[in-house]
Amino acid sequence: MRRVRGWLLRLGGIFGRGRQERDLATELESHLQMHIEDNLRAGMNAREARRQALIELGGVEQTKEMVRERRGLQILDVLVQDLRFGARMSRKNPGFTAVAVLTLALGIGVNTAIFTAFDALVLRPRPVKDPDSLASVFRTTPGGRDGWFSYPDYLYYRDHSKSFAEFTLFAFGMAITSSDLPTTNPTSAPRFARAVGFQLPQLLQGSAQPIGCYFVSGNYFQMLGAVPLLGRIVLPSDDQLNAPPVVLMSGNFWQRLFHSDPRVVGSVLHLNGVAFTVIGVTPLDYLGTTPAVPDLWAPVAAKVHLGGLSAQDLENRLVIAGMPTGRLAPGVSLSDAQAELAVLAAQLRNSYPEDERNSSISVVSGSDNLAALDSETWPVVAAAMSAVALLLLIACANVASLLLARAAARRKEIAVRLALGAGRWRLLRQLLTESLLIALLAGALGLPLAGWMLHLLIVEIASALPSFWGTIALQISPDIRIFAYTLLVSCAAGIAFGLAPALQASKSDVNSALKEEGSAFGRHVSRSRLRGILIAGQMAACLVLLISSALLLRGSQRALKIDPGYETHRVACLEVYNPANLHYSLPRLLQLNRDLIQGVANLPGVHSVAQASRDPIGGIRWVPVSSLNAAPSIPGGGGSESPVAGYSYVTPNYFETLGIPIVRGRNFTPREADGQSPVLVISEATARRFWTGEDPIGKRLKIGSEKGTMSFPGEKDPFVASSEVIGVARDVRSMDLRKIDESYVYLPLSQTHQWTRTLLARTDGDPTPLLPAIGREVRRVDANLPVIGAPLYTMVSMNPFFVASRIGGLLASIVGILGLLLACMGVYGMVSYSVAQRTREIGIRMALGAEGIQILRLVVREGFQPILAGMLIGVATSAGVSRLMVATLFGLNPMDAVSFSGVSLLLGAIALLATWLPARRATEVDPMVALRYE
Amino acid sequence: MGERAGVWQGTLALMVLKTLQALGPLHGYGIARRIEQTSGDLLAVNYGTLYPALLKLEQEGYISSEWGTSDNNRKAKYYKLTRAGRKQLQKEAREWEQTTEILARFLTPGKESA
Repeated sequence: MRRVRGWLLRLGGIFGRGRQERDLATELESHLQMHIEDNLRAGMNAREARRQALIELGGVEQTKEMVRERRGLQILDVLVQDLRFGARMSRKNPGFTAVAVLTLALGIGVNTAIFTAFDALVLRPRPVKDPDSLASVFRTTPGGRDGWFSYPDYLYYRDHSKSFAEFTLFAFGMAITSSDLPTTNPTSAPRFARAVGFQLPQLLQGSAQPIGCYFVSGNYFQMLGAVPLLGRIVLPSDDQLNAPPVVLMSGNFWQRLFHSDPRVVGSVLHLNGVAFTVIGVTPLDYLGTTPAVPDLWAPVAAKVHLGGLSAQDLENRLVIAGMPTGRLAPGVSLSDAQAELAVLAAQLRNSYPEDERNSSISVVSGSDNLAALDSETWPVVAAAMSAVALLLLIACANVASLLLARAAARRKEIAVRLALGAGRWRLLRQLLTESLLIALLAGALGLPLAGWMLHLLIVEIASALPSFWGTIALQISPDIRIFAYTLLVSCAAGIAFGLAPALQASKSDVNSALKEEGSAFGRHVSRSRLRGILIAGQMAACLVLLISSALLLRGSQRALKIDPGYETHRVACLEVYNPANLHYSLPRLLQLNRDLIQGVANLPGVHSVAQASRDPIGGIRWVPVSSLNAAPSIPGGGGSESPVAGYSYVTPNYFETLGIPIVRGRNFTPREADGQSPVLVISEATARRFWTGEDPIGKRLKIGSEKGTMSFPGEKDPFVASSEVIGVARDVRSMDLRKIDESYVYLPLSQTHQWTRTLLARTDGDPTPLLPAIGREVRRVDANLPVIGAPLYTMVSMNPFFVASRIGGLLASIVGILGLLLACMGVYGMVSYSVAQRTREIGIRMALGAEGIQILRLVVREGFQPILAGMLIGVATSAGVSRLMVATLFGLNPMDAVSFSGVSLLLGAIALLATWLPARRATEVDPMVALRYE
Repeated sequence: MGERAGVWQGTLALMVLKTLQALGPLHGYGIARRIEQTSGDLLAVNYGTLYPALLKLEQEGYISSEWGTSDNNRKAKYYKLTRAGRKQLQKEAREWEQTTEILARFLTPGKESA
């Protein structure tokens, strides 16, 4: 009880300090006086009496400090005292505080923003029941590890697997149009995408607006334990061919187009001309297992109603239907499931040997979101995270050097405190409290900054994506975990940058500091070495960032200049979505294509219109190819692996329209183009691959496999048992912009018997101004066609490597420039401090006859030393980093001299300026004033 | 203070209480002088350490203080024992006697085996 009372009183002791202090002073004073009087009576002289009294007391201030410690709760008391003092110091040096807080807030804000985005995109648990027992199943082939399944195969696994309690199917959407919705005008290219320098394809004006719809098996939502906002979820009974067509609406679509009207449930929505009943609405941002929120969800069977699949496709083991996700039965591990499915896959191979499915099974944990990041995304994510972490590091180093400078300026103050009996630990704590104060302020500022940046990022990205691609669902309001993260980072930074200067400062030599002697010659060595290391580190980090950004930007610039082997600037590329909603017969569809070509070709400014089954860049289709004349010239290799080639069905004017010369042989004749004669044009590389040194004309190739290959509905791969090579076209870069296609074959378009979606229009100049006219023409031919159009060169900008290097480069340069700014502030501060500190030394030198220029050289040389060291480290590190970026450099030498030397010189010049400006002050030192300063 | 601090701090409170019981209300200097006289030269330490100890006893309610005038007309803070302080003194004195008794028995040679 007594102890509690003591604590309470001590707690109270924090307040009402003034009176207590006065009382204490009076008490000690009377103590001293009484002692002195006693001593005088004992016969000492006045001086000695006082001295003895003080010695026996042990010092007035020391005693006061002991009493103070006892008076309040010491930790709290000291904290309050330190905070008060820290706040007072901050107010006294608003510039210092502002710079330190802003620097750190920037680092913390950027880090929090990126962390939040990463967390929300990748780490956030799926809003589903028990995500840990979910598993995704992929078909693995020698070509890839993420293949999908046909519908009959899915049913086989679903019905025979005992490892899974539930086994569902998911498929991405197709272009769906509705006559019940208002047409929305295509938005102009978003700022963000334009600033970064790539364009997303836009719907042509007046074209039909597609709706994004995902297709799921009837048990999908049950497995996820989904609860609808309104109405009900899709049930197994809906996923039947004879069931009435139903659709589930996403909360986002409901909000956007139906203004959250609850009456939408039960109403009818016409999709592709078929009446669908809206059965329910999902919560806002409901994702299921998908990466984005669609407009609508529908059962797989509905795809048949919509025309995306035929009923026969659902029974065809070669038509891809979707990606299965299952819930593991209790007690079953991933490897158990994998083993069981592998057995089932073998059974399937035995039962249906006629279908070529050289595949096995891979089971991946559904909760492992990281695994969902593919190998192309990982480096970008990792690079972005390291870049922002580096920024925080630079910010911390900068604040540390600021604090160090201030600690140096406060040497005298600290020495006085030490002399008056302050403990080192006490001093350390004082300095740490001050740095923590800065860190906390920065954290408080960084959090809203992060929120703002996130908002900007997400709103911009969301507006850059066409709405039918789905909505990126992200909760952008910072939650408590992210706040904790910010706080942790800022406090860790506070301690990290507070400790070094604090230790340094408390090492201060009382005597020399008090006499202000220490700064004369070389006494400040250890402190300036630490500052030098910090500056060097900052410079190195900046240089790595800036060189990387220069490389990436130069690489992406190069990508724009790469000659892909075909014309990109005077060609408009149109993608016409399969107009399944029209339920046209195939002859009618082909006629539609002919009408489109005719209509567009007749527009003024258009030379010719070619048609192809895929875009000249992007979209990859492979087919096995083998020579019937000779063994492939590539020796050994995979052995069992038959060579594959990219292919496209094209019209004869494809080569002329795109400016691809036929270097040997001839183009298709009109008769070949319209008929079924087994002829083809191959690329030079293909000719070299199969018949090195021989004339390829007249040779024969087998295209495709008798057994057929897995393909998406409506995109059946070719099979020609024996096809004659009639021409060789110049090599192009179409599969991957970074290199010439290894193998490519062109087949006559008439042989596809399928809808082909790509139209290429050769124009006089830039086709952009012609796009509205083309849109009107498409609308005239058939108003129900969703068409995307863009100049072909913008398709280049869709290349993932281009996007990665552009965004990466921009991010790195922003971070790098911020870092450089901070580092220069650090350099400036360091040099001006050293000049101020050495005023007397400089004065003496000048008094002894040193010229201004010599002084300048001395100061600049000393200031520039750590910068130079940092730059050397930076260049060496960059050389290592650049090697990791080779893939995104588009053939730019990773040791690109322009990037390395240019950025280094620029950085060096800026740093030199930051050194020179304050160093100039050294030459203005008046020797007389400087010496009198003593 | 060094090595003797532990003993000093531990027993100081008891000495203060005992002094106040013997001499009545007294100021800090008086207490310090008294303790020094009583202990001879054995406890020649800083008087300063007395003040935190006084504050602690006051916070715990064993002593109280008020301003008064010293013999030579000087304003001084006088401490006096409270009722709780009296009880505490008895308790601590008893404990201390026990402790010293045990230790004495322990340290006197021969007694153990007898």
